[in-house]
This record gives sequence, structure tokens and C-alpha cells, in this order.
Amino acid sequence: MTLAMLAWRNLLRRPARTVLLVLGIALAVATALALLALSRSIERTTGESSLERGAELTVSQRGAADLFGGFVPASLEKAIAAVPGVAGVAGELAMFAPVDNENQFLAVGMADSSYFWPSMPLAAGRLPEKGERYVVVLGDNVAKALNKGVGQDVTIFDHSMRIVGVAGYKTAINRGVIYLRLQDLQELAFRADQVTLFYLALQPGIGAEGRDAIRNKIEALGPFSVAPTDQLFSHDRNVEVLRAVSLVISVIALTTAGISVLNVLLMAVQERTRETGIMMAIGWSDRRIVGTIMLEGVLTGLAGCAVGVPLGFFACSFFNFLPVVGRYLAFQPSFGIVAPSVAGALLLSVLGSLYPAWRAVSMTPADALRRA
Amino acid sequence: MDDTTAPLVALSNVSRTYDGGSLVALSAINLAVERGAFVSIVGASGSGKSTLVHIMAGFDWPTAGRVLWQGREVVDRHSWTALRREKIGIVFQEFLLLPTLSALENVEIAMSGTGLSASTRRSRAAELLDQVGLSGRLKHLPFALSGGERQRVAIARSIANGPELLLADEPTGNLDSRSTEAVLELLFALRRRAGMTLVLVTHDEAIASLADTVVRIKDGRIVDAGRGTQEAR
Repeated sequence: MTLAMLAWRNLLRRPARTVLLVLGIALAVATALALLALSRSIERTTGESSLERGAELTVSQRGAADLFGGFVPASLEKAIAAVPGVAGVAGELAMFAPVDNENQFLAVGMADSSYFWPSMPLAAGRLPEKGERYVVVLGDNVAKALNKGVGQDVTIFDHSMRIVGVAGYKTAINRGVIYLRLQDLQELAFRADQVTLFYLALQPGIGAEGRDAIRNKIEALGPFSVAPTDQLFSHDRNVEVLRAVSLVISVIALTTAGISVLNVLLMAVQERTRETGIMMAIGWSDRRIVGTIMLEGVLTGLAGCAVGVPLGFFACSFFNFLPVVGRYLAFQPSFGIVAPSVAGALLLSVLGSLYPAWRAVSMTPADALRRA
Repeated sequence: MDDTTAPLVALSNVSRTYDGGSLVALSAINLAVERGAFVSIVGASGSGKSTLVHIMAGFDWPTAGRVLWQGREVVDRHSWTALRREKIGIVFQEFLLLPTLSALENVEIAMSGTGLSASTRRSRAAELLDQVGLSGRLKHLPFALSGGERQRVAIARSIANGPELLLADEPTGNLDSRSTEAVLELLFALRRRAGMTLVLVTHDEAIASLADTVVRIKDGRIVDAGRGTQEAR
């Protein structure tokens, strides 16, 4: 009979209560895991989509509260292109735009000179021709969502536009974008001569020092911020709020689970006061008694994680099917998000069992034995 | 170093009060139990005999006076725990077995933390249950055992670590006459075989008289500490 076996037997004495406790912990772990996946997937998905299009650095307005709220003069393109080490510049105006007067989709206006155009993979149709007005290329997820294809029209900002192609990107964000000429989007959105950001491709072999030099030169041009593509949203207010909210909800969920452990173990310890007295009477040390109770907390925590992690994975895969979220973000739970959720749950299970354990050994054996 | 010439356990001027002194359970008790002795403590219900045993086992602490084990005062919880694990066995009126553990596990658990391997603990527990006549009941849970059988499991548990002192608090209080006889036979036989010191709490004068020394207690005070009138079997 080991301590773990004794703890396990104690948990099985009230199977319904134990199962409910495990489910509570599992729900907390799944919630934390899904929310962490949500907040982290924004940066990861953005980085992946930029890499797929061949971008390594971004130039945006320094100090802008959020990415879509900052603007950079489109005329800056030439100055950036002249910086040694820069191989390509792609100015983009990006914003959520009403499409067919119903849905909001991410619309991206790209300059004719953008190096993204020639490398865009096409699943159907063609690219806009130089000077061709009011034509769009849809990401394949947008085409599916709108149930439209090449040759049909879509309405963007109340203006009818012809679909000339469907892009065949692989990453979630790129598949959920409507691509159009920069000039058209600037006109429709009243953003003449403005872009949201520039993407940069660098010449091969540029190391960390070379990147620093490029960044310093571009940032010297004005109030601009140069960042690697995967850090595009690192200072975005909306993403920071989302990240903070996710963290707070995760902590609340896990703390609630910890309090449940405390509550259930406290009840169990009170029910078993006399048995604790028996253990004291036969010479069990306080440490062993505390160990048994804390093991009960750890076992329920482990069981909660064992159920909660697959539940979290399932929730993440379910998010991918939600149109509003899954259109732009791909949820891929990784060890990086599983570890803090599981560690948090186990830590709080241990903390939740400390007080009941202390209560159990704070009595004299006589007091414990007297209680029925 | 323990003094082997000193009494095994001695209470010096021990008092135990509750509720800030308004309730007196024991008052100025002086008692020495010699090694190998058989002492019975007899008294009416509420006289303080169980409190006395609780103090002797370190379940409770005196509000005044000292408890000495082989001449050394035992003052802290940790020391009492070690004594109960290694040198003091206890049998209760209500058996006090752990309900989720089998007879074998209830005995084995008393050896947990003594450094014995799991297999040694298990085989010794089986041996002890065999000694108390329960070799066919190893896997039975307490609820599946009769009162007498439960008490025999409790006795096997109390002697699992080869104690020097066996404290039995009304061990036959919940048993019928046949089981009472069997349990007493067992206690006396174990005492003879292992040379243990036995302190038996009872309200039954006939059982008390079997001891070498009969301590009579009333209202928390020892009123008589004379010799027994019958020879223990």
C-alpha cells in the first residue's frame, strides 16, 4: 500500500464528486489552452502568412495604437527601396471592408510595383493587368465563403468589382484576403497616397547586423517602426488587449479549478477527520498525512489535465470552423501552450490541497479521534 | 540515551483541563508503569481513564505536569509520533480500522514509514493476521468482518512494529462475551509471548482484577493503585 494508492482509494470513495472535480479542472485547462492558442495564433499566423508571400521585415507607423490605425505615406516606397540590402518593397493598404453589403473581409490594396503580385499563386483566373481598374483576386477561402468565382462581381465599399482570379495560398490569413490594386482601395476608402505598411524582402545573406543597419536607416527617415514579420502585432493595442483578456480568463479558470480542489479536499478531509486521527494514532508523521492529501490534489489535477488537454485541442480545432475566426487564424496547439496550462493546473491543484492538508494535521490525535 | 532502569512510562503531577480550566479531566496524576507490567485502569464512565490513556499515548498533552518515557520527558509532537510508530501500540474500543482498506492493508499501513520494503510489510502483516486467527480474512474489508474479527485486526495492527507498550482502551467494550473472551486471551498471549507492557482501560472490575496493578480513577484523580486479585491468564 503506497501513499499514491491510498490517495487513489480515497478519491474513489466519492466517485461522483471526484469525477465532477476532474471535469471542472479539465474545463479550466481546456479554456486556458484554447485562449492561449487563440492569442498566440495571431502572431504565429501573421508570421507564416508574411513568410509565404516572401516578406522578412515590415515598416509601419511608429506608435500607432493598432496596425490598421497607422498609416505611412505611399511615397516612402522609393526611399525604402534605396536602402542598401533591401531587395523588394511591397506597400499595402489593409483594412476590413464590407463585401456584398453583408460580410466584412480583409481587403488588401497592393501597389502595381509590389513584388507580391508576380509571386502570387493562382488557383484560377489571372492577375490584374497593369492599369486595369476595379478588379480583384479573391483568396480561396473568401471565394468559398461568398460562393463566387472568376468572372463574377463583388461589391466592395458599395462599388462593383470584377473577380479576375482566385489565389491559391496555403496560410489562413492569405486565404482569407481580397487582393486589389492599391489605387482602387485608396480611392474607395478615402485613403489617397496612404498605405498601412510596407513589406520588405531582403537581399540573400543579410545577417542580424545587416538587418539592424536597414532598420536604423529606415527609422531615420521618419516616425516609422521596422519589425520582423512575426512581430508585426507585438505592439498592437487590440492584440495586447486580446492577449491580456485571454491571460486573465485563463488565470480565473485555473484559479477556480484550484479553489474547487481546495473545496472538495477540505470536505473530504473533514469527512475523514477520524481516519486522520487513526493515522496519527498508528504513528504516521504529519508529513506522510500531508503527502497523502496533497497526492489526492495532484492526482485530480493530473486527471483533469489528461481530460482537459484533448478537450482543449478539440476546442481549438472547432475554432477553425468558426467563419469569423477560422478565416484568418489557424489553431495549432503546441507544447508551448500545453505546458503552461498543465503546469498552472497542477500548481493550483497542489496549492488547493495545501490548506486542507494543513487543517488535517493541525489537530491533536485526540481531537481527530473524538470527531465522528 | 533512555534510562533502562526508569519506568517505561511515567506521569508526574499530570493535569488536563479544558475550557480554560473550568473542566478538569485529570488532576495531579502520578503514575509509573514498569517495563513488562500489566496495569489496568478502572473507573466509571467520564472518570478520566481515556484521557489518561490519551496522555500516555501522546494523543493529547497535559496542561500541567510531565510525561516521561524511560526517564526522558516527551515534549513535542514529532517525538510522540515516533514513539507511537516504534514503541507504542494502541487498541481502541471502536476498532478504528480504515474502512477502504482490507484487513491485510490495515495492518500493513501501520508499518508504512518504518523503512521496511513493501513485500516485507505485506508478508509480516499476513503473518500477524495469521497469529490472531484471521489468515482466511486477509482481503476482507472491515465492514465484512464481525466485531471480534475487527478487533483482532486492530490488535494485529497495534503489534505490527513490535511495541514495548500496548495501550488497550476498552478493547472489549463493543464485543459480546464470547468475543470478549477471545480478544482478552489474545492480548494476554501476545503479552506473554513478546514480553510487552500492557495498560488496559476497562470499566469491568473482573477484567481489571486480572492485572498486576489496578489503578482506580475517579473524577480525574487516582483513588487507589493496588495489586490485582486474580492471576492473569
